[in-house]
Amino acid sequence: MNRIFQWFDERTGLSGPIRDFLNYPVPKYVHRNFLYTLGGLTLISFLIQVVTGILMAFYYDPSTEGAYNSVDYISYQLPLGWLIRGVHHYAASAMVILVSLHMLRTYYFSAYKKPRELNWLTGVLLFFLVLSFGFTGYLLPWDQKGYWATKVGTEIAGSVPLIGGFLMRLMRGGDMLGQATLTRFYAGHILLLPASVAVLIVAHIFQMRFHGMAPAITKKAQAQSKIFVPFFPNWAITDTLCGLGLLALLVYMTWANHAPLEFPADPTSSNYVPRPEWYFLFYFQLLKYFPGALEPVATILIPLFIFGSMVLLPFVDLSEERRPWRKPVTTLVSIFYIIVIVVFTILAMAAYA
Amino acid sequence: MAAPKLPPLPADKGVWDEHVIDRRRFLEVALGVLAGIGGLLVAVPGARFLIGNSLEVSATKWVELGKIADLPVAAVTQVSYSTRATDAWREVNQRGTVYVSSADGGATFTVLDGTCTHLGCIVQWNEGDSRFVCPCHSGHFTRQGEVIDGPPPHRLRQLAVKVQNGALFAEI
Repeated sequence: MNRIFQWFDERTGLSGPIRDFLNYPVPKYVHRNFLYTLGGLTLISFLIQVVTGILMAFYYDPSTEGAYNSVDYISYQLPLGWLIRGVHHYAASAMVILVSLHMLRTYYFSAYKKPRELNWLTGVLLFFLVLSFGFTGYLLPWDQKGYWATKVGTEIAGSVPLIGGFLMRLMRGGDMLGQATLTRFYAGHILLLPASVAVLIVAHIFQMRFHGMAPAITKKAQAQSKIFVPFFPNWAITDTLCGLGLLALLVYMTWANHAPLEFPADPTSSNYVPRPEWYFLFYFQLLKYFPGALEPVATILIPLFIFGSMVLLPFVDLSEERRPWRKPVTTLVSIFYIIVIVVFTILAMAAYA
Repeated sequence: MAAPKLPPLPADKGVWDEHVIDRRRFLEVALGVLAGIGGLLVAVPGARFLIGNSLEVSATKWVELGKIADLPVAAVTQVSYSTRATDAWREVNQRGTVYVSSADGGATFTVLDGTCTHLGCIVQWNEGDSRFVCPCHSGHFTRQGEVIDGPPPHRLRQLAVKVQNGALFAEI
């Protein structure tokens, strides 16, 4: 065994970098805090998506004529098809939740501050790529939900002043939702987005390793900040256990409620009420409050403002203070956003209950 | 390795300009330019390829909505049409919903595209309130398609109509 290992090492030179990676010192206060597993769990949910996604690509037919039937076949006729598609479906939601919680943890611990600005920025990009995964993914079954959510979603792009029409046509591959749209979303979902996310994850982890953990915010943690445990096995086993727990939860959810598949896309249906995935519901509700000429406020200004403020955050909040209870402005702003999102989501759910 | 220096100028002549380009600097700039050209050679055709035919405006056509005799003249009638169309590389049945009504007992017809002008959902005709309702964001339109309230920025699209051989056609 050792000779085989040596044979490979002589030819690849990889044992040094691998050992450095595995022996990376993790502060003990991090090791004791489950809030620090959120990033790793997001990565694990991405890996679950890669595996289940590759498996489904063996059967999925990206055509307007065949997409629905192929997803129906995967869900109801293939051995364990319900499981693979179900885990993919629920892991998508899990990824949105985990990446949001991971960002909130980073936000409240002020881990975006100098010198970690770029790490925050790659994280912001990853967050929006995760949402893009959701948006491109649920068109693929070509059922009512996917069709209408995509129709509304691309119309939102279409309401951008000046370039809206171009953007909408570019997303749809023409003026109507059809074969070109499905192929575009498919290529984006299985090739462009995973490749972009993989590159950004490597950059994100590399930067995190380069700077180490952001300084602790509590006195108790600060007292332990000079005591370390190795990434492998101490920290890796925490991530692995949490990952297994996540997988078990996803399997349970799938078993309890199989991933939904609505009726096939019908462009003529006037009695279908389109609703996006739950994580876009608050935005769906927001659109109701901006009538007529104010529409671009909701469709472009507010999203741009939120994206812009996330990007600018580490360059605006330059204070040394890292404790959220001593930073009322950033803390109250985040609480305001959380309340708006929760209230709007509840309002949207109530409207269609 | 340091770049080879130019031989010094005679003292009474002066000095070389400190920005005189050396071979290494030239190669760096040349590499940058070549890489840039290579990148553009990939990016420009790539972008054009991705835009593809998405900017083409599809031609309108006359679609039969039904026989005049079969259309109720007093009510607003929902009509789903289906017509053969080309969708990228595929021949498909292009389907959609329009609303047909007549203000003068069937002498002339108004055909409204059922697509809400807000974000593209299909509006529903509510006979009780005598108005169109969009189920997505609660936009309301009159029987003639004018906006009453809600987020829609403009009225429902009114389609050109013609009557031929006892059948109603709309330009879609």
